[in-house]
Parts: sequence; C-alpha cells; structure tokens
Amino acid sequence: MSFQSMDLTDRVRDLLAQALQVPSEVVGAELSFGDLPQWDSMGHMEVMVQLEERFGVEISADTIAALTSVEAICAYLKENGHA
Amino acid sequence: MPETLEIVPSLPIPAHLVGEVQSKLAYVDEIIARGEVASSGDRITLYLHSPLGVKQGELEEKVQRVVLSMVKGAIRPKVQVLEDHLDRPAGGYHADPHEELLRRGELSQETRGVFALGPLLARLITWFEVRFVELADSFGASPYRFPTLIPASYLERVDYFSAFPHSLTFATHLHTDLDVIDGFARGTACNEHGELNAPPDSFAPIRALLSPAVCYHLYFALADRPLPGGQVVATAVGNCFRHEAINLTSLERLWNFTMREVIFVGPKDFVLDHRETARQRMANLFGQIGLAYRVESANDPFFIGEFRKQVAFQSAFQLKYEIRARLPFKDSTLAVGSYNYHQDFFGRRLNISLPDGAPAHTGCVAFGLERMAYAFLAQFGLDPANWPELVRNGY
Repeated sequence: MSFQSMDLTDRVRDLLAQALQVPSEVVGAELSFGDLPQWDSMGHMEVMVQLEERFGVEISADTIAALTSVEAICAYLKENGHA
Repeated sequence: MPETLEIVPSLPIPAHLVGEVQSKLAYVDEIIARGEVASSGDRITLYLHSPLGVKQGELEEKVQRVVLSMVKGAIRPKVQVLEDHLDRPAGGYHADPHEELLRRGELSQETRGVFALGPLLARLITWFEVRFVELADSFGASPYRFPTLIPASYLERVDYFSAFPHSLTFATHLHTDLDVIDGFARGTACNEHGELNAPPDSFAPIRALLSPAVCYHLYFALADRPLPGGQVVATAVGNCFRHEAINLTSLERLWNFTMREVIFVGPKDFVLDHRETARQRMANLFGQIGLAYRVESANDPFFIGEFRKQVAFQSAFQLKYEIRARLPFKDSTLAVGSYNYHQDFFGRRLNISLPDGAPAHTGCVAFGLERMAYAFLAQFGLDPANWPELVRNGY
C-alpha cells in the first residue's frame, strides 16, 4: 500500500514510526509525546521535520507545542486539507 | 593590522540568529581571534591571529557548515517577555567596570576566563548570595553540597556530549605508573602560552569532567528510585565550568564561574508553580534595588548539530527564561540568571519516579554570581555611596 492511499491515522502512525525509528506496531492511535523514550525533544522535532516534508505543513513554535499526539496531528492535518 | 577574512554566508542569517551564529564562530578554528556577523546577516568578518595561506578554503567551508547547520530550516522563536524594567534609571553609571576593577586590583586574571576577585566583588557577591539563599529558604529548600567533578558517565546519560560538546572541560591525572610520574616530575614545564609540555599519553583516560551545572548532581542523587515524599526543593551553590574559547573576555563570560540554584523536582504543576513564584519573589527584590533588567524567553547554547531542533523545542514549550540585566556602557544586556523547566526529561532519563509511577518533572532557578555582581556594578558603579540603600547597608 502506498503512503498516499493509506488512511490518515495510519499515515501519521507510519510517519511517527519512521521519525522516531521505532516499529510501527508500537505507534498506537492514542500515542502522545513522552509515551516512548524515542518521542523526546529531539524525536519530536524529527516528527515536525517529517510533517513538513511529507505533508507540506508549515511548522511554527505554536504547532510544535500543539502537535504532541497522534490525535492532535491528525486533527491538524484534517484542518489543513489532508483527508 | 590583524589579518581579516570576509565571507558571504551561503544563507542570509536572520536577525534572531546573528548573535547565536557569531558566538559559534569562536569554535571554528584556533586561528580566529574574533568573528563578527553583520547585523544585516549577509556578511561574516573573521579577524585572524596569523595569515591564512592554504587554509582559507578549509576555513570558509567550516564557517559555511556552521551557517547551514544553524540557519537552514530554522524556526523563528516565540519571544515572550515576562517583565521589562530596562528603562529603570538604575545608578546612572555608564562605564565598563571591568577596567576599573582591574586597575584597583579588585580583579586579577589568572588565565583566559579565570579571575580572582577582590574584597569589593567578594562582598557584593555575598550580598546577592544571601538574597538567593533567602529565596531558597522561602520554599523550605534543603541545602546540598555537590562536588566540582562530575563523572563522564553521568553527562553521557543525559546526552550532554551531543548537546554541548564545545564547552566541556575535562579532568584527568597522571597514569598510575612510576616512570610516568617520575618523568613528569623531572621534565615538565609550561611554554610561553602556559601549556604543559608533558606528552599526552602521560595522562589517564578521562572519567570525570569539571561540572557544567549544579542541578545535574541533584538529579543523579535522586536517580533510579521513587522521589522521596513525591516532591523535592533543594538548593546548592557550586563552581561551574563552560569553556567558551575566544568569547571569554571579562566577567561577562567566565570559564570558571559560580552558580546558585534553587531546584524543584515533582509533578509538572508543582515545578511550574514554584518556578513562577520564584520569578515573582525575585522581581520584588530586583525592584527594591532598582535593577534595570528584563525577563524574556531564551534558549541554551546548544552546539550546531542539535542547535536548530533543540532551540525550536525550547522556544515552543517556553522552557527557559533569562533575567537579562542592562549593561549601560554598551547599550546591551547580560543574562544574570534563568528560570528553567526541563519537563520530565531528567525524570525519564534518570528514572526518578513520582508516587503514581510517572516520571518526575524538574526545573530550577539559577543565578550566575559573578555576572550578577558585574551587571550591578555596570549599573551603579564601584562607589558604594552610589548604591541602593538596601545593598549599601547590608554590604
């Protein structure tokens, strides 16, 4: 399955798994910043970089502080036109 | 005239990064005596100790690496000013106290970034120290004493080496070997730069460094066990060491300085509430003495590799605020203290747990004692008759 054809939550989970370098099965839909040792400050910033690259969303200090869970990232992407 | 080299950065340096990039030029190469980034961000000037010759290409490549690493994809920080009292008249003093302190013998330089302080500075620092201890007492803080050395393994465990490699100071000793010790005793001398001529293999592998901060020692003392009582407030003063190369020019930036910290460990709200209360209590003190300063969001001096990401993260979560005192003689400010929140980084990394099993959050307020005294003298001068009554009477 290509990245584009995946359900949005699965795409975000896939992005997180790659950014945090963890197996995709540990990235549940409920995952939040700090739940995994890899999702620390540097891990979080790698997630932000991947979001920018894959979804073209603009990353600012406000989004860095707000996008701290799979749920929040999905909601933000939906608001910005990603179904 | 010193040799100079002008470089056009491969990316224009935004205004909020001009000072940060300039400070990192100190670590590019020992041939650099001073580096300046134009306020427009489109020109870098290096003042060199000696002619470059064939090294020019290599030097330019290193400077461009610094620029790219810090500027490419940089996120504009969210600047938040919590207090702004920079327009206070303070003492009306407008000279740099450094030269006068040297002239009076109140300050003597032992080596770059290392100064002995005379009675005026020592007494002034004691006055501030007593106030900071009063702040700690107002929280019922437990006093601690920590060593000057810190194990290398400790700093590795909290990722210090990747975040701040440029400012580390290492401690070592001679190999436990009679021949090495005898050889050192017989033939060791310092060259004209004050450098020992002993062979590098005389020295044992490095197991300890000179500590760069006070609060780390507390976190390690609390590591790998439940947090006693679920919350801790502690205070300690200690010698700290951050080698900042050619940036070490005066009391503004020391290799060996003294820091008083009040440290909070517990649940998130406990740490954040105490950090805020500490800020308010310090605002009251600074108001009483009429200090001109501002409290604004800031970032730690991360090295280029992690700089961009760590700075953006600190800014986004408003983890650090600096107390920046006015230096009237140069129309600038100097960080004399900071209010810090580390989230649960140390709690997780060092396995410090709360009663519910969650990792503890940590924060600290930290005051650089030499900088505090220096900024005070820059505003009020060296004559105690011109100082605020509160300081003059308790001095």
